[in-house]
Amino acid sequence: MDDFLSLAVNIAYIGLLISFLSAIVRMVLGPTHADRVLALDLIGFVTISFIATYTISSGQTAFLDIAITLALVAFLGTVAFVKFMKTRLAQTHNQKEDESWKS
Amino acid sequence: MHWPIDMIVLTFVIFCAIAAITVRDLLATAILFGAYSFMMCLLWAVMGAVDVAFTEASVGAGVSTVFFVAAVFRTSRRTKD
Repeated sequence: MDDFLSLAVNIAYIGLLISFLSAIVRMVLGPTHADRVLALDLIGFVTISFIATYTISSGQTAFLDIAITLALVAFLGTVAFVKFMKTRLAQTHNQKEDESWKS
Repeated sequence: MHWPIDMIVLTFVIFCAIAAITVRDLLATAILFGAYSFMMCLLWAVMGAVDVAFTEASVGAGVSTVFFVAAVFRTSRRTKD
């Protein structure tokens, strides 16, 4: 591996680790569920790019299959959470309407 | 220059696990467990276990998060009666 590629991989590692750290901080501190879901999505895509960078730095192409599988699967959790929050919001909205109608 | 990637990611994993058992919200616990699963997948890949990372990516990160969210959604905090 030549020097420029090694430098680029190191810079990519630094950026990805900083991105991991900031996403985890937002996920632990996050006041609402939307913050946590977005942080989970960010962690998924940072993991994909981390595995791709590790494929470049190690030179074994077998790791790229893991990145492809993660990219195929990473959106499922976000979709499930969005469906959950949509149903829960509709329920609370209906309850508020019922209470206002009663009073 | 060699990076201690596995040590740094393992620190994140432990942080995520402690947060998942500390936070007082079931949905947040499910989200933190999803992040834990993603990082464990990365850790298996860095350790060189390709097939374990494959299984963790498809089952742990994809399906089990959806199952946890569905289980939280279908149960309630208090009993009906």
